[in-house]
Parts: sequence; C-alpha cells; structure tokens
Amino acid sequence: MQQAIAKPEPALRSESRLSRRLIRNKWLYLMILPGLLYFIIFKYVPMYGLIISFKDYKPFDGINGSEWVGFKHFHRLFAESDFGAILRNTLVLFGMNLVFFFPIPIILSLMLNELRISFFRRIFQTLIYLPHFMSWVIIVSISYVMLTMDGGIVNELLTSLGFEKVNFLLSPEWFRPTYIIQVIWREAGWGTIIYLAAIAAIDPQLYEAARMDGAGRLRQIWHITLPAIRSVIVVLLILKIGDVLELGFEHVYLLLNSMNRDVAEIIDTYVYTAGLRQGQFSYSTAVGFFKSIVGLVLVMLANRLAKKMGEEGVY
Amino acid sequence: MNGKVPSIVLSMALVAGALAGCGGNNEKENAAPSGSQSPSGSSGASQTPASEAPKDEKPTEITIMLPLNTSETPPDTIKNEVEKLTNTKLTYQFFPADTYEEKLNASLATGSLPDVTYLKNQSTFINLKGAIRDGQFWEIGPYLNDFPNLSKLKTQILDNTKVDGKLYSLYIGRPLARQGLIYRKDWADKLQLKAPETVADVVAMAKAFTEQDPDGDGKPNTIGLADRNDLVYGAFKTVASWLSTPNNWGEKDGKLLPDFMFPQYIASMDVMKEIRDAKAMNQDFAATSKTDQVALFTSGQAGMYIGAMSDVDTLNKDLVKNVPTAVVDTQALIKGPNGELTTWSIPGYNNVVMFPKGAIKDEAELKKVLAFFDKMMTPEVSNLMFWGIEGTHYTVVDGKAKASEENKELTEREVKGFKDSVIGESATNGSYDGYYTLEARIHAEQFAAENEKIAIADPAAALDSATYTEKGAELQSIITDATYKYIYGKLDAAGFQKEINTWKSRGGDKIIEEINAARTK
Amino acid sequence: MVEDRSFAGRAFGIVNFALLTLIALITVLPFIHVVAGSFTTSAELAVKRFVLIPTDWSLEAYRFIFSTNTIFRSMAVSIGVTLLGTLFSMLISSMMAYGLSRRDLDGRRTLMFLVVFTMLFNGGLIPTFLVVKNLGLIDHYSALVLPIAINAFNLIILKNFFQNIPEGLEESAKIDGCNDFGILFRIVLPLSMPVIATISLFYAVTYWNTYLNAIMYLNESKMWPIQVLLRQIVVLASGLDYSSDLDSAVPPPDQAVKMAVIVVATLPILLVYPFLQKHFAKGAMLGSVKG
Repeated sequence: MQQAIAKPEPALRSESRLSRRLIRNKWLYLMILPGLLYFIIFKYVPMYGLIISFKDYKPFDGINGSEWVGFKHFHRLFAESDFGAILRNTLVLFGMNLVFFFPIPIILSLMLNELRISFFRRIFQTLIYLPHFMSWVIIVSISYVMLTMDGGIVNELLTSLGFEKVNFLLSPEWFRPTYIIQVIWREAGWGTIIYLAAIAAIDPQLYEAARMDGAGRLRQIWHITLPAIRSVIVVLLILKIGDVLELGFEHVYLLLNSMNRDVAEIIDTYVYTAGLRQGQFSYSTAVGFFKSIVGLVLVMLANRLAKKMGEEGVY
Repeated sequence: MNGKVPSIVLSMALVAGALAGCGGNNEKENAAPSGSQSPSGSSGASQTPASEAPKDEKPTEITIMLPLNTSETPPDTIKNEVEKLTNTKLTYQFFPADTYEEKLNASLATGSLPDVTYLKNQSTFINLKGAIRDGQFWEIGPYLNDFPNLSKLKTQILDNTKVDGKLYSLYIGRPLARQGLIYRKDWADKLQLKAPETVADVVAMAKAFTEQDPDGDGKPNTIGLADRNDLVYGAFKTVASWLSTPNNWGEKDGKLLPDFMFPQYIASMDVMKEIRDAKAMNQDFAATSKTDQVALFTSGQAGMYIGAMSDVDTLNKDLVKNVPTAVVDTQALIKGPNGELTTWSIPGYNNVVMFPKGAIKDEAELKKVLAFFDKMMTPEVSNLMFWGIEGTHYTVVDGKAKASEENKELTEREVKGFKDSVIGESATNGSYDGYYTLEARIHAEQFAAENEKIAIADPAAALDSATYTEKGAELQSIITDATYKYIYGKLDAAGFQKEINTWKSRGGDKIIEEINAARTK
Repeated sequence: MVEDRSFAGRAFGIVNFALLTLIALITVLPFIHVVAGSFTTSAELAVKRFVLIPTDWSLEAYRFIFSTNTIFRSMAVSIGVTLLGTLFSMLISSMMAYGLSRRDLDGRRTLMFLVVFTMLFNGGLIPTFLVVKNLGLIDHYSALVLPIAINAFNLIILKNFFQNIPEGLEESAKIDGCNDFGILFRIVLPLSMPVIATISLFYAVTYWNTYLNAIMYLNESKMWPIQVLLRQIVVLASGLDYSSDLDSAVPPPDQAVKMAVIVVATLPILLVYPFLQKHFAKGAMLGSVKG
C-alpha cells in the first residue's frame, strides 16, 4: 500500500502547491481510504437501485430488465393518493419533534451536569437512558394498557376524580400528544449522552474562573456550558432536519388505527400499506426518493444558514 | 492493513462486474451462486440425467425455505425421522414470519431461492403472481397424476391456487370454516340465557353480560364481547357472514361486486354499532391487539369472543387460572333475522409451496422433489410432521391424536415448527384428527364440520385483477376505515356511501371490471 | 471543585434533584413492569395488565427460555459481533473522522457532503443484498458488520469533536516527529475519551440490535444473534403478525416468556453504559493534559 502511494510521487513533485499538499497529507488520505471504500461499496453502489423509481420493477426481471415508466409512480403519489394530508401529517409530527423533543435532551444533560454528587449523576443517567432499549411494540402495548377506556389506569383515575373518560387511543386529537410523549419518554435520556460527552470535554478551569467572578449556576450554564456545546447542538439540529421525514415508522404504524388515520398516516406508513406490503417496490422507492430530496434540500439550507451564523456546519 | 485494502479493491471490482450482469433475466447466471450458497446436491444431481441414476440409491437432497411461526428454529428430531421415511437429505431454512416477505423478495430478485419455497400466506401468493407468469417457477399440474398421493389433493382448492388456469403450487390445507362464538357458559347459565341461535341472541347476550352482573360481584365491571382491530379474523366478518353478507365478493344482477356494496354489510355494521353503543364490547376495539383482546377474556372481564373457535383451548387455559369457576363453550350456526343460516369460509388453504426453476434444473429433479411431497402425504410422514413421534409427542386414542400433556413443551419446540408446512389436510394426507378433552373444543370441531355445509365461498378467490395487485391494500384501507367509523358513529350511511365512491374512483371500478372480466374468461 | 454554597445555589440544587428523581421514576416504572412481568404468569398479566410486584411468583418463563441452548448461543453471537464490530467500526470511523477533521485537507468538504448524502439517499434492501452477496459475505458473520461498519451520523459527530481539539497540540506533536497516525492514536484519541466512549456505545447498540441483516444475510439459523429470537417472541406474543392467524396451527408464546426474553436480551447491553460512564465523569481530561 505504501508503495502504491509513493510511486506517483516523482511525477507530482514539480506540480502545483495542491499536489504538494496532497503529498504532505498522504497519511490523512490513507486514513480516509477504508471509510471511503465503505461508503462507495455499501452506500453508493447500491444507489443505482434508485432508478427503479422510474421503472416498473419486477424482482425477477432485475433492475436493468424492468420496464421504464417515467414519472408514473410520482404521479400516483402526488395525484392519486391523499398526498396533501399525508405530507401535512408528516410535517406536523416533524415540527413537534423539533419543538418539543429536540431541546429536552439538552436541558436534561444540563440538569444532570448540575448534580454535584457523581453517584447520583451516574444513577440518574443510567435510569433515564434505559427506555431507549425498549422496543416500540412494548412501549405501545404498555401505553394501551394505561390509556384504554376498557379499564385503563389513566381512565380509571379520571373517573374516580369525577371526570369523563377520554378516548386517548382512537381520537385524532390525542394521537399527536401520545406520539410525542412516547418519543420523549423513549429517547430523551438517550439523547443526553452526546451532550454529556460534549460537556465532559469542557475545561473545568473555566468554571472555576467564573465562580471566582461570582457567577451563579445559571450564569455558568449560560456563559460556559451552552457555548461549549453549541457546535454539537448545531450539528445535531442540521442532521435532525435532514431526517425530517423519518419519524419512526414502526412507532407510528403501531399507534395508527382506522379512527386516527386522518392525522396519523405519514409518508412511511402510507408507503408500507400501499407499496411494500403489496410488493410494489417501485412505488415505495419513488416515495423514498421524494423523501430523500426533501431531506437533502432542507439539510443544504440548514447547513448554509449555520455557516452564515459562523458555525462549522456538517460539510 | 496491507492485506485488507487490496482485498477491498478487489471486491469492489467484483461488485462492479456483478452489477453489470445482475439483470436477472438469465436464470442460469443467477442460479449459480445459489448453488454454492446451499451446498445441497440439487445442482449436482442435475448434472446426471435421472434415467441414469438407479432408483433408491442416494437420498435426494432438498433445501426448503419456510416461515418460522414458533419462537425458535426446531431441532432436527423430526427432520431426521422424515429423512428416514422419505429417503431424503433435507436442509430446512426457517426465517421469521414477520419479515419473511423481505427475505423472499430479496431471494427472488437475486436468484437465490432454494429448491422448495414456501410462501407466507395468500397475499404473498398474490404478490408473486407476476413472477409465476414470468416462468420463474415450475408448473406442476401435469405431474400430479404421476403421484398417487398428490393426486388426492382437493381439486377445488387446487383450482383456487391456479394462475391463469395452470397449477404451480401445492397447498397447505386448513379447515374451511372454523369461526364461531366462544362464550362464558357459567355466565349464561347464571343469567338463564341459552346458547345464542340468532344474531339477535348474540347481541342480547352481549348486553346481558354487560348489564346484569354475570360475575355476581355487584360491580359493573364486565362486558359482553371482546374484539380486536381486525375486521376479518375478529368478530366483524363472522357476524356479517351470519347475516349472509357475501364473502369478499357477491353476485348481484349477474355481476360480481365487493361485499361492502351489499345491504347486509351495512346491517352487519349496524349490529356491531348496537353492541358498541350499548357498551357491551370493549370500546377501544379498533385499537386492541389480539393479546389485549385475549387478556380481556382470560381476566374474566369479557364473556364473548368471536373468531376461530379453536382458540378456545388457549382462552380457557388462562381463564380458569384466574376464575376457577369459569366454564366456556363454543357456538356456531347462528341464524340471521330471516332465519337464514350462513357463514364464511376461507379458500381451503393458508399457504402454498412452490418450486423455483432457478434451483430445480430439470424435470427429473422436479420429480424427485415432488416424490418427497408425495411421501409427505402418507399418514406416517404427515402425522410425524403434524403431531410428532407417537408415544413421545402424542398418543392415539379412538383413532385420533391426543397431544401429550407431559411433553407439551417438547412438542412445542420440536414439532410445531413443521406443523404449518404439511401439505393437504387430514382428509387427503391421512393424518389423525385431534383428540380433545375440553368439552368446548369438541363442540368447536363439530361446529366446524357443520359450518362447512353452510359456508359461503369467495367467488373471486381464484380470480385476479392487476389493479387489485397494485393498489388493493391501499384501497381496502379506505373501506376498513369507513367501516370502523360507521361502527363508532362517526360516519352515517350516506358518508359510508361516499367512501365507497372514493374507493371506486381511486381504482375500485377498475377492480370490479377486471374481476368480472376474469370470471367470464 | 469549589462548591456553590449560596442560598440560590442550594435551592437550585434541590429543585434540580427533585425534578430528576421524578423523571427517573417515570422512566423506570415500565421497566419494573417488564421485569416483574417476567417473574409471573400470563394469567396474572391478563388480570393486572400493569404489574409492579407479582403476587403469583413464577420462574417458569426463565426456565422455559433457558431450557434450550438457543439463547446462550445467540447471546454469544451477539456479544462477539458487538465487540468485534464496535472495535472495527471505531477504528475506521475515527481514522476517517480524523482525516476529515483536518482543515488543511483538500476535498474535505466534498467528502463530507458525500457522507451526508448517504444519510439521505439509500438504494434499498435488494441492491444492498446484491452487493453483500457478490462480495461472498452470505452466511458469514462479517455480513453483520461490514454493511453497517460506518454510521454517517457517528462519523460526523466524531469529526466535529476532533476538530475542536486545539491545532497547536497536533503541530507540536508533528514537530516531535509523529506522523498523522501517531497524532491520532497518541494525542487525539486520548484527548477525546468522552466522545470515543459515546460513539462506541452507539456502535455497540447498533450491533446489538442487528436484526434484519441477520435474517437477510445468514441462512443458517444457528448463526443468528439474540435480537432475532427476541423479536420473534415479542412479535408472536404481541399478536402483531395476524396475517395468518386464523390459520396457523401454532398458538403464540406466553406473555411472561415475552417479558423474560426482553430482560435477558437487554441486560448485557444495559451494562455497557455504566461501565463507560467513568469517561464522562473525567471532564478534566483536556485541562489536565494542558496543565
């Protein structure tokens, strides 16, 4: 491998500064190489599969052998489904994720960081990260047991307090709150890990200096902790925005029922019913393609915005 | 490091080369890697013409792919016995039922299906029809008569599984009509209700179980019916069939129309609505899973369960633990308002098994594989695969198989994985009927036999429609949603009709057209 | 550390502690239900629905799942794949992340964009299957590792942390005669323990949760990791796969067994975090090197 890199060296030596930089950084390129190969082999090569969005893919005809159909599948998505409603539902859930979920791990990690006794900090950290390991199947079934009108704990409590029973599981109004609360419950603690890592990298001398200046805890958070983890927050935010249309298929699908479909049907669940379950690969791929393009546009916008604000961004 | 990088580069070149030729049109090219992947002799055997190979010489090597319906892959106990009886060397590849379709599609697309491929259920079969028409699987119809046992398979069910009039598959048979009512006999006795005979009796029982404190604890903590989020295998379709709603498709003025366009469908929704409005069933049934439905019954909260009557064993087991005085019974043959007696039936199979051309190279080889299935249809092999080893997993009582109580767990591990793969049914493969001790289950079996006499079959079971294949599930959800909304009172008859119109305009009209065209063909 | 002893500081501490206690309680209750549920019977679960302390104690579910060696074998597979996979992933991810974190690297932005692009676009199951198949990885444990060896998200986070390390440190190392490999392994990685621990955990969890790849790429069920068993039991016992439910001759597994298998399959990965936590507590890492 070393020889392979060294060979072209004489030819390049007399070239521009660029090639000199390339040579100087040869070790860095070598370090990048395995990863790059990974991305090419396992990510970029399979991407040719995306062309089936424009074909009528039949597994046995293969990707090349299937017939071209142009924008037929996109037409079906935009014109022949409840596309407007599905997109709206998807965007609303995404917005809720951004507004209600995204800040919580940040706040939680700040709170954890303020615990002065490390024993408690460790205990709390361990406990709140547990739910991430529960599958949605289990979470949704536990929620059912608590929320059902047929003897569910929450409704029993409401009746004993003299309130009317609430139809949490079937009413369209309760779908979104249920969804976001479950997301927070499962992922908030897990989300703190990354921020805690960022906080752990902060130089403690900064805090001591601040304390000398008489700064209280809230001011320390505001002036030291938050700025120190700002770049992580920005990166996570951009990546989250790119995930705009990834809202956890399994989770939504498990919560979805005939009564709340008007608000609960999102792109992923629609694709599953209309495409994958029926072996309509081309259609599902076309919908996925649309999602990817939306995500790409948003990431590029967010990244540009971040750069304008003096942040590094993700690329 | 030094060794790894070149190998990755090499693999990249390999990928690039492979991608160029991955069109899949060429069967042989695709099939080659599958041979190396499963070192079964099938590809090896194909090189020798069958005529040269003397009979009873080497065991036939067969690789079989099938869905896993149990917690884990069964050990080889049963497989080894089957091999002995059939002179085969079997390789079973079980894959979780949950993601079986993904595996099946990926294998199909990459030409790596094994010699014998079980599908998952009827809808997988429908999705695969394109591949069947394309000639990816052996047509086996012409060979069946060469095999004494395979030729016994029921013609009507075989017809249901034909594609364009040709037979490509063997079926796994199921009783046609096992659905009915499971109810708390002790509650009914206490309230002096007799077994319901009409749909009105069923409704009355649900209401009485809710209102008249059948468990006698003085608290209004019981409901009649426990149902779940499934219009087909839950209560709805069965109730609808008692009201003589057509089974998926019905004939009107010489034309086939979907069930929801018939007035009986509306009447059935009204019945469900009446029960729900009276709070005589679980209010959240549209969001209730089967597990939660079962829990409602086994906890002693609900007193009725409409669905597969064979579920009574499972229901009874936990119920009597919680309520030792509980007695359950089953009931079917429920009459509609005008005294009509009907129920619905499945097309007689729940799954099929197919033979990919990519793995089975020639006729001789196909015949060897079919010979294995022919032997599977003998009583020895079918009993072995369905009930296990006599004396260990079951005993024979009165000519019926009685599952062993003490080796229950062993049976669950060793035998159950193979149960859903036995082709044919007891009438054709000679396997034992079950011997049951629970009174309610004995009734259930009797009712299932009676049900068959009054069952309405789906007239479109063997017909297909391109639009249905493409959009059927998406369109069906329009009707499913409308049905629930009607039952919950969120939609009136006019609103329901509007949803039907949406269904029609989105492609339903085309489905009707295509189904009728297929019928007259 | 100097403690904040002001009244406001203490009040803040108390409120903070109380809130966290409440949060921890809410997060942990459903877990207690699962653990308690695994020690009881399906009959009790049907009545109580939400069990915190079982009345009908039973070890039956555990006896059942431990009565064959499947759970031990699949656990061993999972542990092996998780350990080796995490190691491999961390190695190539941190090398790539470090390369990309260096601002003087030509083409860095393009490469990063290419990485981000893969987070948004993917070719789907079947083209990936073809690649894995053509590489000859079918029925190889490496099929559980290589196709997911780098997670773009993890890579970006690593790169982000690496580039916050003062460049002066690297420069001085260079003067001391270190090449880039040396800088990464002797300077950058030791200085980045919190993020290394974090990303290792992320990779470990991904490998631990590998499910679909195992089914797609491994035909031999003896090679399957624990998640396949876990998911199979959970799905069957939850009645989720009801497509063939009228017709299957096989009743679903017991509810208590479902709970027990969740406990057994989750415990090992839960133990990883407390073990890694010491790297988060050592916040002074960077400072101590400097000082």
